[in-house]
Amino acid sequence: MATTIAGVEKEKLVGKRLRRREDPRLITGTATYVDDIHLEDMQYAAIVRSPHAAARILSIEIAAAQNSPGVIAVFTGKDTEKVGGVPCGASLPGLRVPHHNVLAVGRVYFVGHPVAVVVAKDRYMAQDAADLVEVNYEPLPAVADPEKALAPGAAPVHPEWPDNVAFTFHQDGGDVDKAFAEADVVVKQRITSQRLIPMAMETRGVVAEWHGADRQLNLYTSTQIPHLVRTLVATMLGLDENRVRVITPEVGGGFGSKLNVYAEEALMGWIAQKIQKPVKWIETRRENFLCTIHGRGHVDYYELAAKRDGTILGIKLKIIQDVGAYHQLLTPAIPTLSVLMMPGIYKTQNIRADIVGAFTNCMPTDAYRGAGRPEATHGIERMVDILADELQIDPAEIRLKNFVANDQFPFHTATGLMYDSGNYAAPLKKALDLVDYGKLRQEQADARKQGKWIGIGISTYGEICAIGPSPATPAGGWESATVKIEPSGKVTIMTGACPHGQGEETTFAQIAADELGISVDDVLVVRGDTSIVQYGIGTFGSRGTAIGGTAVYFALQDLKEKIKKFGAVLLESDDVTFSGGNVVCNKTGQSKSLPEVAASAYRAMKLPPNTEPGLVSTRFWEPPNFTFPFGTHIVVSEIDGQTGEVKIRRYVAVDDCGNRINPLIIDGQVHGGIAQGIGQALWEQAVYDDNGQLLSGELTDYAVPRAHMMPWIESEHTTTPSPVNPLGVKGVGEAGTIGCSPAVVNSVVDALSPLGVRHIDMPLTPEKIWHILSKGA
Amino acid sequence: MKISGSHMLAVPPERAYQMMQDPDILARAVPGCEALEKTDENEYRMKMKMVLASLSGVFDGKIRIADLNPPSSFRLIVEGSGRPGFIKGDGLLHLAANANGGTEVSYHGDVQVGGTIAAVGQRLLDGTAKILIRKFFERLAACAN
Repeated sequence: MATTIAGVEKEKLVGKRLRRREDPRLITGTATYVDDIHLEDMQYAAIVRSPHAAARILSIEIAAAQNSPGVIAVFTGKDTEKVGGVPCGASLPGLRVPHHNVLAVGRVYFVGHPVAVVVAKDRYMAQDAADLVEVNYEPLPAVADPEKALAPGAAPVHPEWPDNVAFTFHQDGGDVDKAFAEADVVVKQRITSQRLIPMAMETRGVVAEWHGADRQLNLYTSTQIPHLVRTLVATMLGLDENRVRVITPEVGGGFGSKLNVYAEEALMGWIAQKIQKPVKWIETRRENFLCTIHGRGHVDYYELAAKRDGTILGIKLKIIQDVGAYHQLLTPAIPTLSVLMMPGIYKTQNIRADIVGAFTNCMPTDAYRGAGRPEATHGIERMVDILADELQIDPAEIRLKNFVANDQFPFHTATGLMYDSGNYAAPLKKALDLVDYGKLRQEQADARKQGKWIGIGISTYGEICAIGPSPATPAGGWESATVKIEPSGKVTIMTGACPHGQGEETTFAQIAADELGISVDDVLVVRGDTSIVQYGIGTFGSRGTAIGGTAVYFALQDLKEKIKKFGAVLLESDDVTFSGGNVVCNKTGQSKSLPEVAASAYRAMKLPPNTEPGLVSTRFWEPPNFTFPFGTHIVVSEIDGQTGEVKIRRYVAVDDCGNRINPLIIDGQVHGGIAQGIGQALWEQAVYDDNGQLLSGELTDYAVPRAHMMPWIESEHTTTPSPVNPLGVKGVGEAGTIGCSPAVVNSVVDALSPLGVRHIDMPLTPEKIWHILSKGA
Repeated sequence: MKISGSHMLAVPPERAYQMMQDPDILARAVPGCEALEKTDENEYRMKMKMVLASLSGVFDGKIRIADLNPPSSFRLIVEGSGRPGFIKGDGLLHLAANANGGTEVSYHGDVQVGGTIAAVGQRLLDGTAKILIRKFFERLAACAN
């Protein structure tokens, strides 16, 4: 048997800008998405959807569709009444949860509401037949705006709750009345965060396959949460959970929109049982606009109390959350995250928050990149600028004055959180240096003299990541990992944090490679199949690495111990260490490689005392706290005085996400996040008319930023490790979006401040800015 | 969406009024009209093909005429639905004699659309409606000759 001498310490991979191992297949068209699944005798479903936002269904004529070529079945709400309702996983005291049938029964509540489903031999036949389904509606008055929905006399979305109130929530922290009584100044502002459409590149899609003999349902679906989909769809269909297998192949983007359980997932599972054949449904882009959850939808009323020197004393916030017609999985929980985040990274201990969730005849809102935290960050960062303007204090200075100080961590917020670690001034100072702030202000003053509209916007954001400890998360907040060292020494990681673009196949392999002293090429990361992966919560809330990665880390620690034990047997020594991929006898210097040790662990000729054969460890890691990343984004913008167009001249992002496992992936996350933040700040808006018709229903009407519309992003970082997990990581999936929109809007308001402009609601379209310039001039 | 406008016809108001209630003439004048039949006094059923940007489809519709005040005004109520969604319209038409012995027809109305036609076609609706109405009056004028 060959023995190898332990080499020098292998170079660490954690911290290296490794290219993503998943990318070659993703960018060469060789990856498998749901639409790439083809099964024997598979049928196709097309869904008939309501063109009305509110209407009674008087009759549905399906005969013509049934007789259409290739059609094997047509179902309506009457057929599916026994299928359980689409679940709401969040709970609040007094929450009103309307029953949400997978197909409408008797009444429709939003444009796009599924009314019937046609199953045919191919997709085109299904769609042609769906057009033949005649639904006779009696239109009813609809309401599409959350404030109008709450006004007296508004059309009731659900007749049983004529006030359209879906829920209310109140939180008090500290003594807000005293704070406002003692304030020198109180600034108030209504701030909206408009409805957005998440717009994953891959729309949703489901393939369902029923094996009647085994009573086994295989469900392929594009989701962020395969295990939760399994548990909940099994419940909806009355199946045993262990006879439902959810397979999530590649997921082409989610941004929270696939952190959900949708009617179509259960519906396809039900159809597959009915027709005894596999069935596929792929959402069209138009359906995606109408029927995949929307994000944001806030109207916020802020009041900020402060001393004349700029010290913030207290914050009052009233949130009106546009719920839509139903609660999807987490709808009511999203604005509660805004409340948790409302003080930002400022030390004020006095807050009061009230939320009213309003039903509207629109698609439900739910988690979209940042989920409640971008709204809150936008609010507080706008308010701090408004306060700075009121007191004529520099916006950087007023922030420095109010930051939680470095010696205050762990810091208990008025909203009940414990900020883990922070150094809030560091990224601000770094960003100010990068833009050469003093000189920049001088240039701005000079430019103004020449009639140019230049603005500087600062956003010092904080966020709640690594969601979350189980008591704070509707379905449990832990994450699982199984690490299996195969007999050959190759390493397989099965993670419950099913990724959809986060690069976990690379980052988790980096963690394992360092811990075991092997190459990333020896590590395979498996995810997205409930029959292979133990269980999992999923990927959202910037939790993949901080929680899922930590579970991997702890499983690896178990295995390192076991490797040492098996190595000790092979080396016939009690005094061994495991390093650089070898177990080394400290006395003789003899060593055994990981493949040799792994082979002996499975061959099991001689077992260490009290040790089972094999090298497998499963860990379910429960985090003791959230993590709290932070950073500073500075935007320099210039407005075209003729057209009102906002041009971002500079974008500096200094993000602190704790320890950095793969800075290349982090940069990618920050860039993508900023693209979505700029999208909200400048262009994107889901528009419903007064009758509940979605007007921005196509990419020609909904302005998702294209690559050429993006500024150059100067990305920098500071590093403040998190004490919450042994990796010291905090999470970065949402940071770009959360930090971005207030920086952009603050810069534009700053540019227009000579006109007395104090606030502008997003999106800052050229038309809106042009009107402000026209009025001002 | 509010719509309004006016068009000239080279016939006196009495004739113009009569033409606009004649199913045969209407069938020829309504752009995209594939069938039009009288179902009741002042009620018609119509099939109309409409193209709006990337959307096209046949609308099954009902037309109702109300508030008849010959020859100077009447109300037109249109309801149609089809693959691209639905369309509802309600308009008041005024007919006035002009100096040349012709008629000026002016209209004010409200048009509501829903479904895909709203989600996808809203931007183009205003322009399309104007074109369709202009075509209607041009064809009506042709029928008058």
